[in-house]
Amino acid sequence: MSVDSKVQTPLHYFHGVFGRPGIESDSSKLFNTDVECGLVIKEAPLSAHLNVRGDAGDAGFCKAVADVLGVALPTDPGLCNHNDSISIYWLGPSEWCVIALGGDAAELEAALRAKLSGHVSIVDISGGQTLINLRGHGVETVLKKSTVCDFEALPMAKPGQRGVTQSTFAKASAVISNRCDGSYDLIIRRSFADYIAQWLLDAGAEFGCRIER
Amino acid sequence: MSTAVTQKNRTGSGSCTDASAPIQFTFNGKSYQGVVGDTLASALLANGVDVVGRSFKYARPRGIVGHGAEEPNGIIQLGSGAATVPNLKATQVELYPGLEASSVNGWPNVDFDLMGLIGAFGRLMPPGFYYKTFMYPKKLWMTYEHFIRQAAGLGATPVENDPDSYDKLNQHCDVLVVGAGPAGLVAAREAARTGARVIIADEQAQFGGSLLASKQTIDGLAATDWVTAMVAELEAFDNVQLLPRSTAFGYYDHNFMAILERRSDHLGLTAAQGTRQRLHRVRARQVVLAAGAFERPLVFAQNDIPGVMAATSVTTYINRYGVVPGTKLVICTTNDSAYQTAIDWHQAGREVVAVVDTRSVLDGDLVAAAKALGINVIAGHGVIEAQGGKRVKRALIAPLNDDGSAVTGSARRLDCDLIATSGGWSPAIHLSSHTGAKPIWDEQIVGFRPGASKQQERSAGACRGTYSLAGCLAEGASAGAEAAKLAGCGDGNMHFPLPTCEEYAQQPQQALFLVPHTKSASRAPSQFVDFQLDVTAGGVELAVREGFESVEHVKRYTALGFGTDQGKLGNINGMAILANALGQSIAETGTTIFRPSYTPTTFGALAGRDVNQLFDPERYTAVHRWHSDQGAKFEDVGQWKRPWYFPQAGESMHDAVNRECLAVRNSVGILDASTLGKIDIQGPDAAEFITRMYTNSYLKLAPGKCRYGVMLKEDGMIFDDGVCACLGENHYLMFTTTGGAAGVLSWLELWQQTEWPALQVYFTSVTDHWTTATVTGPNARKVIAKVCNDIDLSNEAFPFMDWRDGTVAGIKARVFRISFTGELSYEVNVPAHYGRQVWEQLIAAGEEFGITPYGTETMHVLRAEKGFIIVGQDTDGSMTPGDMNMDWVLGKNKAFSYIGKRSLDRSDTVRENRKQLVGLKTLEPADVLPEGAQIVFDPKQQIPMSMQGHVTSSYYSACLGHSIALAVVKGGLERMGQKVYCPLADGRMIAAEIVSSVFYDPKGERHHVG
Repeated sequence: MSVDSKVQTPLHYFHGVFGRPGIESDSSKLFNTDVECGLVIKEAPLSAHLNVRGDAGDAGFCKAVADVLGVALPTDPGLCNHNDSISIYWLGPSEWCVIALGGDAAELEAALRAKLSGHVSIVDISGGQTLINLRGHGVETVLKKSTVCDFEALPMAKPGQRGVTQSTFAKASAVISNRCDGSYDLIIRRSFADYIAQWLLDAGAEFGCRIER
Repeated sequence: MSTAVTQKNRTGSGSCTDASAPIQFTFNGKSYQGVVGDTLASALLANGVDVVGRSFKYARPRGIVGHGAEEPNGIIQLGSGAATVPNLKATQVELYPGLEASSVNGWPNVDFDLMGLIGAFGRLMPPGFYYKTFMYPKKLWMTYEHFIRQAAGLGATPVENDPDSYDKLNQHCDVLVVGAGPAGLVAAREAARTGARVIIADEQAQFGGSLLASKQTIDGLAATDWVTAMVAELEAFDNVQLLPRSTAFGYYDHNFMAILERRSDHLGLTAAQGTRQRLHRVRARQVVLAAGAFERPLVFAQNDIPGVMAATSVTTYINRYGVVPGTKLVICTTNDSAYQTAIDWHQAGREVVAVVDTRSVLDGDLVAAAKALGINVIAGHGVIEAQGGKRVKRALIAPLNDDGSAVTGSARRLDCDLIATSGGWSPAIHLSSHTGAKPIWDEQIVGFRPGASKQQERSAGACRGTYSLAGCLAEGASAGAEAAKLAGCGDGNMHFPLPTCEEYAQQPQQALFLVPHTKSASRAPSQFVDFQLDVTAGGVELAVREGFESVEHVKRYTALGFGTDQGKLGNINGMAILANALGQSIAETGTTIFRPSYTPTTFGALAGRDVNQLFDPERYTAVHRWHSDQGAKFEDVGQWKRPWYFPQAGESMHDAVNRECLAVRNSVGILDASTLGKIDIQGPDAAEFITRMYTNSYLKLAPGKCRYGVMLKEDGMIFDDGVCACLGENHYLMFTTTGGAAGVLSWLELWQQTEWPALQVYFTSVTDHWTTATVTGPNARKVIAKVCNDIDLSNEAFPFMDWRDGTVAGIKARVFRISFTGELSYEVNVPAHYGRQVWEQLIAAGEEFGITPYGTETMHVLRAEKGFIIVGQDTDGSMTPGDMNMDWVLGKNKAFSYIGKRSLDRSDTVRENRKQLVGLKTLEPADVLPEGAQIVFDPKQQIPMSMQGHVTSSYYSACLGHSIALAVVKGGLERMGQKVYCPLADGRMIAAEIVSSVFYDPKGERHHVG
């Protein structure tokens, strides 16, 4: 999948926008890396996002997923297993979100379908959501403004594994996952992306905030 | 200008003030000077301002009584204009340069109050006055209330938009400590040590609580130094959050505490930047309440004259603020603690006229200390009356009997300008009460202490009736360790050695609330119980004489505790006087229950950032900005913004919709249908499951085929509709209505998870994944052919109600030949990243055919011309498929039932004369019926008319050249060709004929077109 200008990620119109006290948060403001920001939002654009459903109690299913993705399927609640390019987020007892950075969803789906059998569901949802990373010293306050979930109580992030939860986010929803470096990943729905971007710019304004690609 | 000149009661710096740093402010239009660290109240007292307001009912002059949240009189309006704040307590307003405040009560001014003339006739307004006087005639109550409120002067709300911003933080912690006095500080430290996440909140600007005004030593340090060290210790923990200026105002279920943090109120009327106030929504595993206690004033005649204060407040003003609010002090007390006030006053260099103690035998340590300073102590006496006008001039004291119930000798006068009283202490049980814990009367402490816990909380220190400093420290430390353990941290043992402090031997206090007068309560000058609402002891007794017995009824009859101070000072005295009048104990009488908010809370903080453009999410499709660039007007559909119509220069909505409609009928139009709900369904039992959800069958739907279906709730009523396509073996795509998407997905999950878990089927929402462009009109095929060359678009190869995989504008797409317009239609679905580019390519391809983007209004007109229903517009949750003339969608031979089927045989659903969907054609073609218009058969009947149905959809059809409407009419299908009438609110009566609901192309030749 090539990245060309005609392809629009959910945060397409917000790349380079920043908000801080006294500065309008609108897209006319140019991206300025000199601005010290306590909240930096970075979109991981155009990756493969698959929703995978299956029986976590079926060892064959778990092994096949692990074999294809090279990452063990997390079967315990609240865990995300990952390597450098692929993350598997536990969403429910029989539901996972697979994100392959820069991956091709159709190829990945085909590879999984070739190995999986029985009652499974694989759905390409790449266009319907996006992964964003929130970093900076303001990130925890911004998350506290945004979600009622206790993200500090997520399983500790360590190499190869993170915590993950689904919760409300402002008046929308998000998948929230912690990272070893103290930053957080959010998976947000496309149709709510404008609202969430505006919410984050507003919530991060007290720290200085920008959205980068 | 030296501060001594202007601030006659300022003696120097207190523990929290800097007398060398003056601040200018104005009160009731007059300029004053305070100092850094002052509250408005301490600054007013420093300047000798006696009268700060007028009372609610009698308009009596009132002065400052307390020093914190309990203050009933110093109720002020801060600032003016958009940011003005009503009903603040002067004792809680931190002074800032340029502060402007005025009394909320008292017009034209507090020193000469016209309403005071009414006050002079105070006895004309007994309790229940409003009920007795203003209830009749009932219809005038609103008028009465208006004037009563205006006269009462409850402050003015700003009429402009709030210039400030507010936000909310969701917090989680193991241990929440409310109150940062001695008990709270050590509780937080013990909990913090275990690694527990701790939040400690205190409503004051500085931590320390009562210690800020204390001269005691702790661990050899002055109390204020010990506080400083403790705060530093807590700050060093990275698992502790300290929240000063933060009031825990509401304690709700599941250990949820609402805390209001005032972030900029101490700096000015509006926040220069950032948020003015922040609402902390704290979910705590365990809570330690260390909220302290309020000193109870004694009730005696004319105890509301300015210059009567709570003894501890006098101490606080002296020690904390460096303000001695008078020159000659008389203290009246029932306990030892007020002797500290006498000592502090004496040491400030002013005269203590006497300490009048209602007890006859006095031998406590503080009593001895006061006597050692030469302070005149008068035992066995009480202050029975204050005298003076706008300031106390003297106290009348008289000897009392042993239980303090009667005056036993003649009264004598003591000249003074301040009377400080202490009737003991009332634990601040408010937050405990919020949880539903019933307060318990404790004879020992002469007060209500918290009842059995209803939440994961415990009280420590003064708020549970423990008043010695050492006791507070011990209880706090223990509570902190215990709370941490129950939250899963630490072993529950205290780790730090208990801080050491001096202990004073205290003798028991006397349980006395109302100091008797030589005359009875009804004859004596008013003895005020609730200052803010002018409730007197005589009023409470009158309520009893009039038959009120329940404390809750007396509260409502007299308004005791109804003020913005929630009766923090007056309630217990009121209960005690009530109990006495009823001849029963206070325990038997009980108390009213406190509810949130502990102190008034701004609406702004409760709203937070959920305002303006962030009030509700706006959901956008991937093509949204193209639409807005084209000047589209948008319509809200659920949270989605959908293009409503695309007006061109000079066009009205009517013009635009007519143009768009004709373009679709005559050539080609394009609609953004991305908002329709889409659910991907996979699994071996998918077809069976879908067949149970819809009224018709999907068991034989082959890959490549689509089918329209209707979903019912169990009651047989339509709740959603849409097309379902078979994508492959065991794989389906279900379209839902835009507004129904989330509800349908929940509905499917509900039935699968709870009723039919054995059916193997998974559901995944793909609404956001796809951008859907509907290309529709006679030229639709030609447009698609220009951008798609791998699908055979011929009618034979790709008929109506089929779908195909293919490539559109270079992007892998699913193309559905389904139609909501009745025209030849292709719904092109591409992943949303490509939505905008494919849309633009379709526009470019359609240019030669005049492709016209259209919005929801045109979509509605086109579908109405075809008689296609919109669920939620033509249905309202009480319509069956039969009502919609859609029996054809009911599967007659399904092996398994479907949801709602059974209800279609109910007596109500099969009865005659149900409202049925029909078309209406107005006799005057240009008349467009209003949607919602009621339908009658006989236009000449009397009002109320017999309503026979209503209009559900109505438009002008440019294509047909007349108006069209859909309506539900009783027995409508049997009434074809009959006339009906719509009487309108404006007096017009529009006549219409019942016709078929399909106005256009009844045989469906156009969407099948080859």
